[in-house]
Amino acid sequence: MTPAIAGEGLAYDYGRGAVLDGVNLAVAAGEIVGVIGPNGSGKTTLVRLLAGVIRPGAGHVMLEGTRLDALARRDIARRLAVVPQDSALEFPFTALEVVLMGRAPHLPPLAFPRARDLDIARAAMARLEVAAVEDRALVQLSGGERQRVLLARALAQEPRVLLLDEPTTHLDLRHQTGIYDTVRALTRASGVAVLSVLHDLNLAALYCDRLLLLAAGRVVAHGTPAEVLRAPLLSEAYGVPVHVGTNAATGTPIVLPLPAPS
Amino acid sequence: MRLGALLVASALIACAPPPSRAGRPERVVSLAPSLTEAIYALGAGDRLVGACAQCDHPDAAKALPRVGGYLAPSVELVLAARPDLVVVVPSPGNREAVRAVERAGVRVLVLQDRTLADLRAGISALATALEVPDAGERLVGEVDAGLAAVRARVNGQARPRVLLVVGHRPLIVAGGGTLQDELLTIAGGTNVAADAGAAWPAFSVEMVAARAPDVILDAAMGSEKGSRTLFQELTGVPAVQKGRIVTLDPDVIFRAGPRVPEAAGVLAAAIHGR
Amino acid sequence: MRPAHLTARRLATSLLVLAAALAVTLLAATLIGPAPASLRVALAPGGEATPDYAILFRARLPRVLLAAVVGGSLAAAGAALQALLLNPIAEPHLLGISAGAAVAGVIAIVAGADAASAVVPLAAFLGALGMITFVYLGARAAGRASPHAILLVGVVCNALAAAAIMLANAIVSYTQAQGILFWIMGSLSTQGYALVAVAAAYALVGVAWIVRHAQDLNLLALGEESALELGVEVERTRRAVFVAASLLVGAAVAVSGMIGFVGLIVPHLLRLAAGTDHRLLVPASFLGGATFLVVADTVARTALAPAELPVGVVTALLGGPFFIWLLRRSLVRGMA
Repeated sequence: MTPAIAGEGLAYDYGRGAVLDGVNLAVAAGEIVGVIGPNGSGKTTLVRLLAGVIRPGAGHVMLEGTRLDALARRDIARRLAVVPQDSALEFPFTALEVVLMGRAPHLPPLAFPRARDLDIARAAMARLEVAAVEDRALVQLSGGERQRVLLARALAQEPRVLLLDEPTTHLDLRHQTGIYDTVRALTRASGVAVLSVLHDLNLAALYCDRLLLLAAGRVVAHGTPAEVLRAPLLSEAYGVPVHVGTNAATGTPIVLPLPAPS
Repeated sequence: MRLGALLVASALIACAPPPSRAGRPERVVSLAPSLTEAIYALGAGDRLVGACAQCDHPDAAKALPRVGGYLAPSVELVLAARPDLVVVVPSPGNREAVRAVERAGVRVLVLQDRTLADLRAGISALATALEVPDAGERLVGEVDAGLAAVRARVNGQARPRVLLVVGHRPLIVAGGGTLQDELLTIAGGTNVAADAGAAWPAFSVEMVAARAPDVILDAAMGSEKGSRTLFQELTGVPAVQKGRIVTLDPDVIFRAGPRVPEAAGVLAAAIHGR
Repeated sequence: MRPAHLTARRLATSLLVLAAALAVTLLAATLIGPAPASLRVALAPGGEATPDYAILFRARLPRVLLAAVVGGSLAAAGAALQALLLNPIAEPHLLGISAGAAVAGVIAIVAGADAASAVVPLAAFLGALGMITFVYLGARAAGRASPHAILLVGVVCNALAAAAIMLANAIVSYTQAQGILFWIMGSLSTQGYALVAVAAAYALVGVAWIVRHAQDLNLLALGEESALELGVEVERTRRAVFVAASLLVGAAVAVSGMIGFVGLIVPHLLRLAAGTDHRLLVPASFLGGATFLVVADTVARTALAPAELPVGVVTALLGGPFFIWLLRRSLVRGMA
């Protein structure tokens, strides 16, 4: 089965040393893959490469079996959506207008959204509990509401591959799990392939089918959460001693950093 | 103690500006073309030791050492000529230079040139400063006689409506209260822009159409094609209909010196079609 | 209360209202002026020979139409450049295109061309083209011209061109200096209908070209990466919009000098009133800018009659305080 999205031998250099080197990964349809690792390990760079925003120095990305660099941008946008960490929007677009922009890849250049597009956008917003703020300017919303609007935009794109870059930074507990519940429901229902960068290892343990641990631009471990979330691996990668236990309620691993001995 | 006082006194004397020399100015610098002409006309041309770059009349003036431009004279070059009198007309740009020359202790005579009254007063003041009052009176008399002759020539003729154009884009015209306005009147014309409330107002083309001048005098730079293009649409205006758009040399019209009777004559000829 | 998104119907209605306002303004401006003129006399049989006809149809109407074209061009270009530079208070003259046009025009005048001849606008337009190329190539690095780079290079070019104009001002004669002032202050003197028609056709093409990329401009506002991720060919769009907007500005300045504030205020005001969707904002800015400049020019023609004010002074006086009020209002609302 062709993976929905795959990277083969990906390498990238910003000019001050390699940020990514020899990274291989594949995400199958209906799967949620988490990318974890310390700051500077190249997680965001990986997302940008997979989205086609930057070109790899070596290796290539395959989207549903086709090389990414052989596809036109609009074609990519019809199949792949990205949820960024935040939006630096200067202009007073409303939340609904921003979500409707997710329909743009499916519409001719100057066309107006049809009823169907509006339905899709509004449904996505309802799912993420931001329907009430549809006519407020994005810049006026709270950080959490903004992040949910950005995810709604990605959902409105009706993608087959969804890339998320730390989508829960500004979200409270309820919405953190809420987002991933929504994402998981989506993958189960429509077979969307999801790759998400996470800094919260426990969230990763709860929701990801597989994990990729990056450190210094290389993949140091990949597999199920149980296989990857091990104390020696994590301590080495993050540079801090950790304790890994088991979540009694779900059976998934729990990761706890250990304070320095007093 | 006495040495100290002597030192202080010497220092004060060294800092003081040199005393203006009493007596006839023998080294004169002129910073305006009209004043240069006036000085020659007063018979004192041999006392000029420096002139601005635009001073080109009479021919002898062309040989004078240059001290910068009418708009921007050079303080250094003026002082290098060691003048005992500098004569100047205020221009947009020469104020600071003139002040600097004054501070250096040189006698400066500032003359206005905005009206004929200014011109007469200016010639008199210049003659007084140069200590040739009789020549001054004579020159003023000649100017007045010249103007009277022009007035007499056109006396009895109809007074055409005239517009004197100075710039094309924006369209700048001569308004009331200017020397050129007075000359137009002497030359037997009526300045259609006399009520504009400013000396050099910008006019819209519709005002030209409204004022319907009989003659348009174009004294702007690069005039030839400009005036035709500007007004060709206004077929209702008498000046355009009869082709009475006359190009004039700005140098002759705008020099407020002893040759104003000539300027008036040129205007009269242009206005009355001779 | 503005609806949450732009519909085709709202687009059509808004543009119709603005077009109607423009039509009314054009009519009123043609009938108002320092010189008295009667429409009835001009239109009566044999009216063509009357001064009324000359004032209304030979002097005023072409000027009013030109004001509309220039104002519309500046405002539409302003909207596009604000989207391009991701800065809601960018001004079309910021990037040095106008100053480049002005320098070329000034050189033509200093070289002896008559200020009213066709050589000068042509030279100015070529100056604008040169500056566009210079700024774009100067800002381009590794195949991309980021808004930041365009802004920096543009501002520097603007300063250089301004210095060149000052230099010219220092060395020319007094009467030539008046001609230079035209470029700096802006002036909408009467031109022939032929030129107005060419300018109008040109402006319409330029605006249409920008509108074609209007949805892309919306997406660009989300940021370069997000726009790429939504399918926009960012660099191609930027180049197309930059060139189209700059050509509009260059053409406007070539015929009328640097008229400020129109390209800043009109898009900003319309954005507050009608939203940021560029499919509406760009054509609306054209219509709004046309109306604004016609009004400003009417004031310029009549306030000090029979003399007239430079129109750049009027737009600054009308626009400046208004803009400060707008800015304070949106700062208070937290929307700036």
